[in-house]
Amino acid sequence: MSIRWTRIAPQIALTPALAVTLVAFIGSIFWTIYLSFTRSRRVPDYAIDWSEWGRQYARLAQDAGWSTALWNLITLGVGSGLAIVFGFVLAAMIDREKRGESFFRTVFLYPLAVSLIVTGVAWRWILNPTMGLEATLHRIGFENVDFNWLAQGDTAMYAIILASIWQSSGFYMALMIAGLKSINSEIWSAARLDGVSLWRLYIEIIIPMMKFTFLTCAILLSLGVIKAYDIVLAMTNGGPGQSTWVPAYFVINALSQKQNLGYASAAAVMMLLITLAVFLPLVLLTAWQNRRRAAQ
Amino acid sequence: MTDLTVTEAAAGATALKRRRPAARTRRRHRGLNGRSLAVLVFLTMCALFFCVPLYVVLTTSLKTMEEIRQGQIFALPDTWTLEAWRFAWNEACSGITCEGLKVGFWNSVRILVPSLILSISLAMVTGYALALWEVKWAGTFLFLLFLCAFVPLQIIMFPLIAITRSMGVYGTILGVAVVHAVMSMPVLTLIFRNYYKDIPAEIMNAAIMDSGSFWRIFGEIILPMSGNILIVVLILQITNVWNDYLIGVTFGGYNTQPMTVNLANMVTVSTGTASYNVDMAAALLTAIPPLVVYFLVGKFFVAGITAGAIKG
Repeated sequence: MSIRWTRIAPQIALTPALAVTLVAFIGSIFWTIYLSFTRSRRVPDYAIDWSEWGRQYARLAQDAGWSTALWNLITLGVGSGLAIVFGFVLAAMIDREKRGESFFRTVFLYPLAVSLIVTGVAWRWILNPTMGLEATLHRIGFENVDFNWLAQGDTAMYAIILASIWQSSGFYMALMIAGLKSINSEIWSAARLDGVSLWRLYIEIIIPMMKFTFLTCAILLSLGVIKAYDIVLAMTNGGPGQSTWVPAYFVINALSQKQNLGYASAAAVMMLLITLAVFLPLVLLTAWQNRRRAAQ
Repeated sequence: MTDLTVTEAAAGATALKRRRPAARTRRRHRGLNGRSLAVLVFLTMCALFFCVPLYVVLTTSLKTMEEIRQGQIFALPDTWTLEAWRFAWNEACSGITCEGLKVGFWNSVRILVPSLILSISLAMVTGYALALWEVKWAGTFLFLLFLCAFVPLQIIMFPLIAITRSMGVYGTILGVAVVHAVMSMPVLTLIFRNYYKDIPAEIMNAAIMDSGSFWRIFGEIILPMSGNILIVVLILQITNVWNDYLIGVTFGGYNTQPMTVNLANMVTVSTGTASYNVDMAAALLTAIPPLVVYFLVGKFFVAGITAGAIKG
């Protein structure tokens, strides 16, 4: 009896999690995919008109808001990619200069503990044209400085990027420090003996050695960018106009403002495809790394 | 089964278990030469950049509106006042109700407690079963969890609304807590599983020989060993749930919205003239709980975010 229990008990224990996975994730994903083929508006309408099953996607392809959202996604991805570079620079400096390590780590990481809504509110206030940074710069003599980024469609995205970099650099710094610490310490002394300059050491040895860490950071960043919603909402609420829409914002907007379930589902499926496109390299990367680890 | 972790995930979670040997002898302190001075100056400037928003928000929240209108955003307050804080907490309007942020604060607390209990107990038991017991489909299940960990909420938003509605919890505190538990289940399970899989097989074999059942081993051996990882996950989850906006705004009803939603409503849907000092006080009030956690137990916080690197 007890032997039988040791076989069954773990399976029973796994049932709730399995049910959640199958219903809330897998089932729901297929539910959304199905809905994206229907003409559902406010309430789901499960009839599919097979003659034009792809109409929501066709509409999406012609929607200027959607293409803005896609472009902004790329802009945001590239722009906040600076956070990885910045994070690496900070990590390298902290790792070399041991003085104040824990102080600097603490300071660079605290934004991560702050909600993105709060981050957005704070930066929106700093970028306030009449009372914020711009007013101060104008008063001390930089009359031509234009920091009214949020009010202009072509610069509003930069403000969001600035805030995301502020928020996330510390995170990449933490990952990079972990990566740097795993590098064999003999490399440093060997490089010093050989008289290799610090720049060359970093560019030719350290960075190539840390390519996994960089890749991980890039993938995590991409996944984060796809999910970016809070920061956009708090800083611009998608505006001015539609200029800071991102796919995550587009889906919510179609669902709650336009009340167009079928359309929102189609956009969500596109989001899923983008996620998969980023996710696939991650799986390959993990597999590759495991093979390398196994080979060692 | 391949080891499904983001590179640093395991490192982050296990960093607390294994003390790194003190092999790094290059940690010697040298004199302050030109290069390290330059590095320190640069780092200090970066630190200032990181602190500017906090400074600006804090000083603005302590000013009066007349003073703010003068446009000296970086100046210290002439007259220090906590009036904005009091107003934000007690009277500020969020949507149609004007009862201040305290409503949202208590909602957040009431969401936090059940979601922590639900998500951590579920993830812990699942992680334990997957790591230490032989289940045929464990590999497939782990892979599914890994996939699910990356799914943005938008993709399953409507189905989850429909499911919670049919369960009768949509718009309630419990509903928000349940959705939090669901959304965080994959990541937390993977974290626990990675932690437990390093437990030596001998311990498990001995325990099973000792006629230990699944639950007895869990209660008598595994649970007492889980202190560190539990703290890491607890902190990760507290900050995640507290800082969440999307789940709260989607699944919370009019009276059950968390603090972040209250804050966003206060700031974005402003009627009349904006009171920046009140907005900033409200932002700080929302940020204080996770910041306190961070400054008290920063080490665990870092381990948590690197372990749960997959979070949005």
